[in-house]
Amino acid sequence: MEDVNLVTESLKFMVLGMGIVYIMLSLIVLLTNLQAKIVAKYFPDKPNDPIGVKSKTVTGSSSDTAVVAAIVAAVNEYKKG
Amino acid sequence: MHKFIKVLLLSLIIFAGIANAAENRSSEENSLKVEKQEKSVSENEFKSKSVSALIKDFFKTTGIYAIINPDKNLKSNDGKVYSSFHQSWGRVIMFIIIFILFYLAIAKGFEPLLLLPIAFGGFLANIPVANMTGDEGMLGIIYNMGVANEFFPLLIFMGVGAMTDFGPLLARPRTALLGAAAQFGIFGSLVAAAALSQYTDIFDFTLKQCSAISIIGGADGPTSIFIASALAPELLGAIAVAAYSYMALVPVIQPPIMRALTTKEERQIVMKTTRHVHKMEKILFPIMIIVLIALFLPDASPLMGAFAFGNFAKESGVVDRLSDTMQNSLINIVTIFLGLAVGAKLEADKFLVPETLGIMIIGLAAFAVGTAAGVLMGKLMNKMSKEPINPLIGAAGVSAVPMAARVVSKVGSEEKPGNILLMHAMGPNVAGVIGSAVAAGVLLSIFN
Repeated sequence: MEDVNLVTESLKFMVLGMGIVYIMLSLIVLLTNLQAKIVAKYFPDKPNDPIGVKSKTVTGSSSDTAVVAAIVAAVNEYKKG
Repeated sequence: MHKFIKVLLLSLIIFAGIANAAENRSSEENSLKVEKQEKSVSENEFKSKSVSALIKDFFKTTGIYAIINPDKNLKSNDGKVYSSFHQSWGRVIMFIIIFILFYLAIAKGFEPLLLLPIAFGGFLANIPVANMTGDEGMLGIIYNMGVANEFFPLLIFMGVGAMTDFGPLLARPRTALLGAAAQFGIFGSLVAAAALSQYTDIFDFTLKQCSAISIIGGADGPTSIFIASALAPELLGAIAVAAYSYMALVPVIQPPIMRALTTKEERQIVMKTTRHVHKMEKILFPIMIIVLIALFLPDASPLMGAFAFGNFAKESGVVDRLSDTMQNSLINIVTIFLGLAVGAKLEADKFLVPETLGIMIIGLAAFAVGTAAGVLMGKLMNKMSKEPINPLIGAAGVSAVPMAARVVSKVGSEEKPGNILLMHAMGPNVAGVIGSAVAAGVLLSIFN
């Protein structure tokens, strides 16, 4: 280890290391962008709205039935009374 | 009366047990240099002793005796002589340091999940006589089981993968470059550590040790432990403690650097909301990572493999039980073992050395430089791109998930109330995890 200058060695490591880190993450950037395009083309995003609308109508109808049930029950009670 | 006899008998048995154990201990201690055969003989033969002799022998097996009278011939597990200082005052100092760690973990909430087991492991490791860290000691067994072979950090990484949502990164992939810039903390401090060893007499680290120390700048606990146990196991304790303490100190270390390097206008930048990410993209992402690693950097495959598997299990959505186990039970169990095993390296003779101070200083510098590099890259990207990018999110490029992202969000909302940067900062944050794993892979590949 005596004849090796640690600083020059570590500077070489730095060039290699930062280079590889940048290359890898740039590749990830490129590939994710590409992937996003491919996915958008072949697996078109199912629009979110129908689900929202659907769930809304579901909750709406269920609360409606609840209200109806309550009215029916109340009327029945009233009739009994 | 019956009860009294029972108690008496019980206490007699216990006393006999203690005396016997003491006898075994003292004979073991004496027979360090003696042949193994002789040792077993002396253990089997029981010589009658007077009560005073028994008590005297027992005293010699106590920790008090071991601390007051250091054994000059005692060797630590790696074969080096255990110096008298480390056997006596060293242990006392370590107990004080460990109580400080307990205080930080419990009262200050510094990464308690890891700092507490690490500190307790250190507590046990410094018990005299018991040799808890030896190959047959409890801590030694745990250490050999999963840290010496680098297994536990990988399991932790699996859990981290299962907890990570790459959504924010996939929504704005360019922010991954911020995670790359922050890795300058690792390599910058590598040069600093090398310079300190080359041109000063205070520290004398080898290149492997410099690399293991500098990985603290990756702000990633498991990666630090993984690299340290691969390149410089003798420094593992100090590196792990430094890494986790600085990760806990992210909210203290980062904001001043972030403020110093940015203008008020830059800090107030509001970023556009991110696009919706398709589920398919999230499922494909871990596979893409593995393909990249397989092609370009197979040395990073243990870390990235575990990470990608955890993430794949989560995003696939069909093995919730497995991903749930990785995120909770498995990571918790491994955290217990990993903490105790790392604590085993807090033994006085390994921790109370000048190198520890160097590791603490270089580690802090690595953190600061990483943060600064991330922020500067953020500024650059803001100038270059059409979309406004708040440079603060660059600070989240040092991994420390999700702490660094939270800090960014906090600083951002202090500058401009209502400006929530959290989701934007999560992108560079998870990219930082990948970045530091890649950096770790590069360092490993250099020394392989």
